[in-house]
This record gives sequence, structure tokens and C-alpha cells, in this order.
Amino acid sequence: MVQAARNINLPISKDRSTRQGFGVDKVVLILVLLYLTVPLGATLIFGLSTGNGINFNTYHQVFTDPDFSQTLLLSFGLALASTFLTVLLVTPTAYWVQLRLPRARPMMDFLALVPFAVPAIVMAFGLIEVYGTNNTLINILSLGLVPLLSNEPFNVVNTPQLLVCAYVIISLPFVFRPIDNNLRAINTKVLSEAAYSLGSGWWRTFLTIIIPNILPGVISAALLTFSTVMGEFTLASLFGIYTFPIYLNGTGQNDAHKAASLTILSFILTLICVLGIILLVRIRPGSRGKEDRLDIVAAK
Amino acid sequence: MQLRAAIGTADSATTLNQSAVKTRRPRGINWSYAITSWLGFVPFLLFCLLFEILPAVMIIQSSFVDSTTGALTLHNYSNMLSQAGNVHAFQNSISLSVVTALLGAFFGFLAAYGLNNLRTNWLRNLIISYSSIAANFAGVPLAFAFVSTLGVTGFVTVLLLRWFHIDLYNGLNFSLYTFWGLVLVYTYFQLPLMILITLPALNALRPEWREAATNLGASNFTYWRRIALPILLPSLVAATMLLFANSFGAFATAYALAQGSINIVPILIAFVVNGNVNLDPGLGNALAVGMIVVLLIAVSLYTAMLRRVSKWQGR
Repeated sequence: MVQAARNINLPISKDRSTRQGFGVDKVVLILVLLYLTVPLGATLIFGLSTGNGINFNTYHQVFTDPDFSQTLLLSFGLALASTFLTVLLVTPTAYWVQLRLPRARPMMDFLALVPFAVPAIVMAFGLIEVYGTNNTLINILSLGLVPLLSNEPFNVVNTPQLLVCAYVIISLPFVFRPIDNNLRAINTKVLSEAAYSLGSGWWRTFLTIIIPNILPGVISAALLTFSTVMGEFTLASLFGIYTFPIYLNGTGQNDAHKAASLTILSFILTLICVLGIILLVRIRPGSRGKEDRLDIVAAK
Repeated sequence: MQLRAAIGTADSATTLNQSAVKTRRPRGINWSYAITSWLGFVPFLLFCLLFEILPAVMIIQSSFVDSTTGALTLHNYSNMLSQAGNVHAFQNSISLSVVTALLGAFFGFLAAYGLNNLRTNWLRNLIISYSSIAANFAGVPLAFAFVSTLGVTGFVTVLLLRWFHIDLYNGLNFSLYTFWGLVLVYTYFQLPLMILITLPALNALRPEWREAATNLGASNFTYWRRIALPILLPSLVAATMLLFANSFGAFATAYALAQGSINIVPILIAFVVNGNVNLDPGLGNALAVGMIVVLLIAVSLYTAMLRRVSKWQGR
């Protein structure tokens, strides 16, 4: 109701602003957009021009570099694995907390907020220390799981598997929010009770009733995770795993034109992910007017 | 619970008995229910413990331990504070984050206000989408985009030199690879982030409030000074805190840009981990704890402000 009233009122406020004309805010908006566009345009031209004229030579060089496809493939795999694991871990838990354990919500909120206070660089440092040194306190606190994971046959020390787990944690702030917001918006309890009373089990309710209803949130969470992992540099560099951003950094230090071309390519990757969110989430009826649909990756 | 108890004392003895019976019966059943409820939460909790909580615990614990002898000590902290380079790194990191957060918040807010007042819906949506892309475009690619633009041979640098005869590097003493260069780069992802965070708050400003104020004789300035800004203030402070945290922890952009020639805390920590410089791991832990402390202040302010937002904006 409130939402509807607000939507009706919006055009009125817009009419007034047009009467006020072209204010400072519009000028700043244009300047900001210019600021956001100039580096991209400059990079595009810089990558295409090699002294005189435009040529696509650098792009050809990039595509034929075996390291390029190799690292891109590795990053792609890591991103897929992280996205999958994140969605698999967070969605059922968020639903479970909403339905059966409202008391755990503050804890969930806290866990989703920790990555803000513990940035990736600190997290990487901590993970290297946890899974690499033998520390009695940590061994006890982890209920014996850290020693198990630090030795064969489950050794995760400095492996891509550990990297994937770290990526899941880094994604928590912007994965939990949209999923949780969607869960709150659809009246989870009533839907679940209706499904239960019609004889559906927990998993069936979750998969066939809840998931389709919260799909926009899940999709945007998944694509944000994917896009973050594709571009994540900090953890991969400290773990010594040769992913696409590491390759990009290494190349860029030697060849600025090649770096510009690669930058444009990774911008296109981001573009695809964000456009995916916008198209998949916004086209769906009913999701319009929800202001929290745009969740942002805040962990750089 | 408290509310129910209060009602109970006010009511007669019989209803009190009834409520006691009522609460006791479900409690007997609730036990197994509660246990299964918590069991469903365990996988997630365990995962967070292993990969989120323990690394933080480890860092805090190791910062109080001598890395060679294993004895409890405050030496790591005194070591950190006694070296001018480390203190300087904190100063740099904090001022970098404050400057970019304030720049981002100020211009981002004005831009968001302009965007909120745009009539054309498709243009508005397009700009929002574009901001969303730009906010996610960070790290190594962003650093290289700025090198291609404002680096020594960057496109804009060359353009300015050829067309306007402005020599950024030799004439104006500008360099992308210094503090102010980093400010420019960080502002790039702060601005769209601010726009995206502030839009919902601006959207929740009711036009009726403005109309009421105007009817009562308030000028545009009075409206902003007395009504809009006080309502928006918690959101704005929360957003600024988020921007601060965002740039304080950023490592990839700064590293790709200057390869460690800028003295900020994340880069020092990376040095410790990689063993580039003969820095002591204990010092790295102390630096990391320092970062956590600074960020905790920002994050607690952020959550405190968010709680106040809900009062006026019905979130």
C-alpha cells in the first residue's frame, strides 16, 4: 500500500524539479557520468592504437597467448564453483533461518557483515596462517577440523579449493541480503505451511515453491559472486594461484597496450554479468519498484 | 516475552496460571524442535567458523604472540608503532579512505539527487545500470584503465599535451602513481557505489514533506536544512562509512597501479605475506589487527546509522 502511494506520488516530485530547471545536481550528474566514461573510452582507444592508426593487433596477440585462455579458464572454473557453493550454502540456510530459527538472524546478519570489517587482504593472511601452521588454540576451536583439512588426504593448504571457500565468505555480504530480502517479501511461512499441509516435504517445498519465488534474488546473488570471483586479485595473489587477474596484472606491467585490451575484455565480462542481473531480474513481473534489487560488491 | 510477563502481572491470578500452563506445554515439545532447528544451521555455521571466524581469531591471537618464541607479548604492537613507516602507512590509508569517501559521498549524493529528479525513465534506468557496472568494475582492470588514461603515455595525458599544451607530468607535477593519483582511481568506484546506495533513501523522501514545508513558508534552503538533510543524515553517514570501509580494505587497485610504491597498510601486509621485505610475521598480524580495529569503528557506525534509518524511511 505504502509502496503504491509512493509510486503515485513520484511523478509529482519530478514535475517540480523540471520547473526548477537545470540545477547543480544535474551538472554534477553529467560530470560524474563523464568521469565514469572517460577512462573506459580512453582505454578502448589506447588499446586499439599503436602509434599510428587503429589496429586490432593487440587483441590478436592476446587471444593467441596460451596463458590468456588458461587463466581465463581457471578463473571461470573458480567462479562457477564459488557461485555454486555460495548459492548452495546460503539459500537453504537463509530459508531455514527464516522459517525455523528467527533467533539466529542476528548471528546471520553478523556473519554477513564480518567481511566488511575483515577485508580480503586480512582474510587471506589469516587463512594462510590458519591452514599452514599448527596452532593448538585453532585446532581446538575448529573442533579438530583444521588439522584434518591441513593434512592429507584432505589437504587444502594453498589449493584452489581453499580459494573457493574464501570466495564464498567474501561474497556473503551481497549474497545473503538479496536472498533474505526476497524471502521476507514472499511470506515464506504461509507458503511453506500451505505446502506442508498439502503433503510436500521440506526439500520439495524448498525446491519447487521457495526457489522459484526467490529466483530474482538468487540470480542476482549468483551473478554478483561470479563477477567478483572473475576479477578477484587479492586472495589469488597471496595464495599464489595463477588466475586471470594475476595474468592481467603481470601482462600489464610489461605491455601497456595489451593491458588496455585485456582491461576492455574484463570490462565486457563485468558488463555481461551486470546486464544478466538487470535483464533476468528486472524483466520478471513483480520485481519492479523494489529498491534493493541493486546490490553492490563492496569488497575490493 | 517481557511484554507477556508484564501483562501477566497486571492480570488476575487465574490468567497468570493459564499463561504458565500455556508456555510450559510447548516447551516440552520444543526441545527436539529447537535442536533440529539449530542442526539445520550447523553446516553454514561450521563453514563460517572455518573460513571466516578462525582466520580473524588467528590474526588477533598471533598479534599478541612472539613469532619466534611463542610467548605472550605486546612487542608486535610496540614494534609497529615504533617504525615511522608503519604509522605513516596507517595515516596514508586513513586519509586516502577519508578523502575518497567524502569526495564519493558528496558528488555521489548530488549525482544521485539529479538522477532521482530525472523525468525520463529509460535514461534513469540506463544510468542506474551503468553505475552498477562501474561500481563492480574495480581492482586490476580499473588500475590499468587509469594508466591508459592518465599514465605517462596515457590517452588523456597525451591529448592534453598535444591540444592544450598542458604537461601533466613535467609541468604540473602530477603523477598517477602517488597518493592523489590513487584518490582519482578510488573515486571511480566510490561514486557509482554512493549513487546506488543513496537512491533508495532519496526515493523515500516524500513529496508531501516538501509541500507541507513550502505551505508553511519554508524556502528551498530551509527545507533542506530542517527536513531533508536531517532525515537523510543517517543514510548518508552509513553510506560514507561503507565507502570508507570499501577503500580502506582495497588492495588490488593500489597494487596494480603502483606495484607497492605507495605506502598503505594493505600493501604492507602483502609484503609480509610474500616475504618481499624482511618484515616480521608478528608485525603483519599487528598491522592486520590495526586494520580490523579501524574498520570495526566504521562498520559499527554503519550499522548504528542503519538502525536509525528505519525510523523515518520505513525500511
